[in-house]
Amino acid sequence: MSARRPFYFVGRAVEAMARRPSVAFVSILTIFVAAFVIGLFAAVLRGGERLLGAWAGEIHISVYLDPAADLDAARAAAQTAAPGRTVEAVSAPVALQRFRASLGAQGALLDGLRPDLLPPSVEVRAPGIALAEARSLAARLQGVPGAREVDYGNAWLERLERLLQRLRWAGIGLFVALALGAAVLVANTLRLGVFARRDEIDIMRLVGATDLFVETPFLLEGLLQGLAGGVLAAGALVGICALALPGLATAGLPLARSEVLPPALIGAVVGGGAALGLLASALAVGRELGRRAR
Amino acid sequence: MIQLFHVHKQYPGEAPALLDVSLGIEKGEFVFLTGPSGAGKSTLMRLVFCAEVATSGQLLVFGRNVAKVKPSQVPYLRRSIGVVFQDFKLLPDRTVAENVAFPLEVRGLAPREVKRKVSAILGSVGLDLKAGKFPLSLSGGEQQRVAVARALVGDPALLLADEPTGNLDPERTLEVMDLLHAANARGTTVLVATHDRTLLERYKKRVVALERGRVMTDGAEIRRTGFA
Repeated sequence: MSARRPFYFVGRAVEAMARRPSVAFVSILTIFVAAFVIGLFAAVLRGGERLLGAWAGEIHISVYLDPAADLDAARAAAQTAAPGRTVEAVSAPVALQRFRASLGAQGALLDGLRPDLLPPSVEVRAPGIALAEARSLAARLQGVPGAREVDYGNAWLERLERLLQRLRWAGIGLFVALALGAAVLVANTLRLGVFARRDEIDIMRLVGATDLFVETPFLLEGLLQGLAGGVLAAGALVGICALALPGLATAGLPLARSEVLPPALIGAVVGGGAALGLLASALAVGRELGRRAR
Repeated sequence: MIQLFHVHKQYPGEAPALLDVSLGIEKGEFVFLTGPSGAGKSTLMRLVFCAEVATSGQLLVFGRNVAKVKPSQVPYLRRSIGVVFQDFKLLPDRTVAENVAFPLEVRGLAPREVKRKVSAILGSVGLDLKAGKFPLSLSGGEQQRVAVARALVGDPALLLADEPTGNLDPERTLEVMDLLHAANARGTTVLVATHDRTLLERYKKRVVALERGRVMTDGAEIRRTGFA
């Protein structure tokens, strides 16, 4: 293949799209929808993970102690178990006092109760800690002398993470299903283009074109259409982020665009669209050439 | 150039298209292949340009057994064969020049060389002024001249023409036949399938007559043995 051949094939691919703009439009649209849906799902999943990370950063672990436990010894043990973390010993009366304060005007309801109603505890604050680390820290704190119960305090985070984990698996399944479905759909769409040019293929073969010569413009066409669909999908995702993120921030879900839609994800959407177009056109032209053996 | 030894071609569920056909065509010959519809003329042509494979027997083209030519090598064999069809097989959305340039583009010739050769061949078939026209704006005779130009632009050693004048009036028929004749005079071996008896009588070339897949008469054989 001489050096000018790539330009010849690109020229033929562009020319073919210009000759049948409706077929090219449908192919680009199909790839756009597939890349957009997959990209949107990935962005939502990333947003959820980021929010989880942010919330997990406020983890606060309470180690409830036996009423007879040595508070100072427990605090020292907790400090050893959680080096570098803020550890506070809270006696039973202080705990009740704080509870009363948290009730505000209704704190009077607690009047007359025993001051040792609530158990003494050791409170460990671990800002910026990941959920997995928090879990392991909580396990270590079980060994504090006199510890009766370690309240994770963030049980709902566990549930949220389980949900995200399921979503991640569902995402992988959805991604595979969408990618396969999109490849078949795009392949069928591109087959329309190949079918519309079957006379051209016959004549090319008649005058001595190799399969590579016949296939290359179709593959480039698929690649270019995929690239166009991917770029449009990435643009649409950026647009949706620009519209949705300010509203989410107002609703207490602060997310930056780079967290939801990082450059790597934008690149993956564009590259995925191009790969999808290439794969689909390879399927389409391969099937058509296979049907026309020799 | 072309040799067939006991070639048999059978399509599933149909009568044999070719039955024990043996014949040889020498380099530089002009041969008419004739016979009624369904006699096997087109099948024989398709075997020669490797669009089909014989069910049994041997077919040699340029000394190569086509049954043993690898699929990847078929395109290179075809580049030495020009083909003309009754229905022209031109691409309607490409200009005359683009249609004729196709075989040269397939071979990877430089654009300047393509332009030069296309211009020369269109001049030789009298269509140099129609280079920028689209096929459907031309008459049937002109379209067939474009098809002949496309078949000849790559200087093939062998030209196959399957009923090339079947859609043309007598005057246009002679124009196209003259082009084939001129190609033969320049050294190209020409095999023309036709059932037009006036052509056989006018051009006095070797005639191979097929009927129901068998060779009924062969001009070369008649010359050699004196029996029809």
